[in-house]
Amino acid sequence: MTVLPQAAGPEPPRPVPVPDDGSAPFWRAAADHALVVARCSRCGGWTHPPEVVCPHCRSTDPDYTFEPVSGRGAVRSWTVMRQSALSGFAADLPFVLVDVELAEQPELRLIGRLLDGVHAPLRLGAPVTVAFEDLPDGMAVPAFVLDAES
Amino acid sequence: MTGVFGGRGEVAIAGYAQSGIERHASVTLGALAVETAGRAIADAGLAVGDVDGFVTGALFPTAGAYAVEDGVSIVSANWLAEHLGINPRYATGFQGFGQIPGSVAIAVNAIVSGAADYVLLHRALHNPPGRYHANPMRRAGGPQQWTVPQGYFGPLAMIALPYNEYLQRYGADRETMAKVVVEARANGARIPWSYWYGRPLTVEDYLAAPMINDPIGRFDCDIPVDGVAAFVLTSGERARDLPHRPVYVLGYASGAPTTHRLPLHWPLDDIMSIGSETARRLWQATGLRPGVVDLPQLYDGFSPFVYFWLEALGFCEPGEAHLFVQEGGIDSSRAGALPVLSGGGALGNGRMHGVPQMLECYLQLSGRAGERQRDRAAIGLACHSSPHYGGAVAYGAQPPEG
Repeated sequence: MTVLPQAAGPEPPRPVPVPDDGSAPFWRAAADHALVVARCSRCGGWTHPPEVVCPHCRSTDPDYTFEPVSGRGAVRSWTVMRQSALSGFAADLPFVLVDVELAEQPELRLIGRLLDGVHAPLRLGAPVTVAFEDLPDGMAVPAFVLDAES
Repeated sequence: MTGVFGGRGEVAIAGYAQSGIERHASVTLGALAVETAGRAIADAGLAVGDVDGFVTGALFPTAGAYAVEDGVSIVSANWLAEHLGINPRYATGFQGFGQIPGSVAIAVNAIVSGAADYVLLHRALHNPPGRYHANPMRRAGGPQQWTVPQGYFGPLAMIALPYNEYLQRYGADRETMAKVVVEARANGARIPWSYWYGRPLTVEDYLAAPMINDPIGRFDCDIPVDGVAAFVLTSGERARDLPHRPVYVLGYASGAPTTHRLPLHWPLDDIMSIGSETARRLWQATGLRPGVVDLPQLYDGFSPFVYFWLEALGFCEPGEAHLFVQEGGIDSSRAGALPVLSGGGALGNGRMHGVPQMLECYLQLSGRAGERQRDRAAIGLACHSSPHYGGAVAYGAQPPEG
C-alpha cells in the first residue's frame, strides 16, 4: 500500500475547487461573491450540483443555465468540526458546517461553513444568508451567516 | 410481482470462520483471508475443491488517499479463489453499500439458480497504517468540488448531520446514546475474537471521550481493524447432510435513494423514508413481521444507525428509538428486551462491517454460540449500512413451513 508522506513545515492551504465544463459558471460567479445555481432549460427545476440527467424531469439534455438565487435559506442540520481529515483546516478548527435548504425550491441544498463561530445560536430552521470565503487564486466558496432574528 | 422471495429457506449457511480482529494483523490481509476461508470450508465439513462459488463485497471503506491493492488492502472473490487454487464456476463482487446483505443475496441467487453449489462468502477488512481517513488532497475536482473546499468530508461528518437532525428534532441526548455503545462493548467484551475482548466501556468513558464532528464522538465510531470472516452457503438440502445445523436464509431486501444529493449528504428523511421501504420489502419477501424476530442484529458502524434501524424496521415509532433505549429496550441481559447488539456489532468487535450481525445470527440460530447461547433464537435479522443504502437478511433456525 502507499502512504503519502506528511508534508513538513506549515500546513498547506485548504483544497481548492477544480472547475469543469459543468461547474465553471458556478465558480466564476462565486469568485465575484454571487451565488448561482444550475437550472434545467426544459423544466425550470433547480439542481445542485448539476447532474447529467435533470433529477426533476429526467431530461438527458437539461442544457443548464446558471441563474442567481436569493442566497437565503434555512438550516436543516449542522455539525461542529473539531477534527478534519482534510489538510488545510487546522487553523480554522473548530468550525461549524451547516446543511442549508435554499429558499428557491424544496430540497435544494448546499453545505458550507457557518461564519458566526461555534457558539452561534443554531436551531433547525434557523434562517441564513449566503456569504463567501476567499481562497487563493481569486477563488471563493459559498458559506453562510445567521440572519438576525427579531 | 408479489414481492415474496421465491427462494425462501432454500439456501443455508453450513459453516463459518472468523479471524482474530486486530488493529494491525501480523500477516498480509490476503494470507489471513486464505487461512480463514480454509477454516470455514473445513468447518462446513467440506474440502477446498468442493467450493465452486466465491462472493464478496470488497470495498475498502476509507476516505484516505490509499492505493487499493488486491490481496493487501482488499481481497476480491477472484483473488481468493485463485489463491485457494480454485477455478470457480462463479465468482463475483457486490458493488455498493451494505456489502454483507448484498453479497448474501448474490450467493443465495447463485445457489438457487444452480450457478454454484457451495459458495464461499467472505469479507476482508484492512486498517492501513496512519490516520484512517486522513487525506492530503489540495485540489477537489468532480463531485468533491461541491463539498471538500467547504471542509465537508469523510463519513464522520456525513453521519453527524442526520444524527444532529435526529437529536434536535426529537430531543434526544448523548447520555442515551451512551447506552447503545456500552451495550455493544459489553457484548463484544465477551467475544474472544473481538478487538474489544475483555474491554467493556462505561457511560463515563463514553461521555469523556473527545468529540470529533459533533454530535459524533470517538466511541460513536467503530474502530478500524484488520479482520476476515468467511461463511459457506449451500442448498438447505445439501446443508442437512453436513456436520452443523443449517441456518436458513428466509429472504433479503435492500434499497437506494433516488433524490439527487451532494456527496456524502444523508439527510435524516432520506434515511428513514427509503429505510422504511426496505423494511416493507423485507417483511413482504419473508412473510415475517417485527414481532416474530428474536434476534434483530442492527448495524452500528456509527451508533446513530441503531436508532435509525430500530425505527425503519418498525420496532419503534419514528423519533422514539432513543426513548426505547433509555428504558432498557436493547439491554440484551434483560428478559423481554430486544437483543439488537447481542453479537457486539461493529462498535463491540471492530470495523468488520456487517459481519458481526450475520455471524451472531448464524451462531445463535445454529446453537453454536457457546456460553453466549440465547434461549430464544429462531428468527434472526442481520442489517448492514444505513437503512437507506444498505439492506437486511432474515435467517431462520428452521426452513419456512409450507
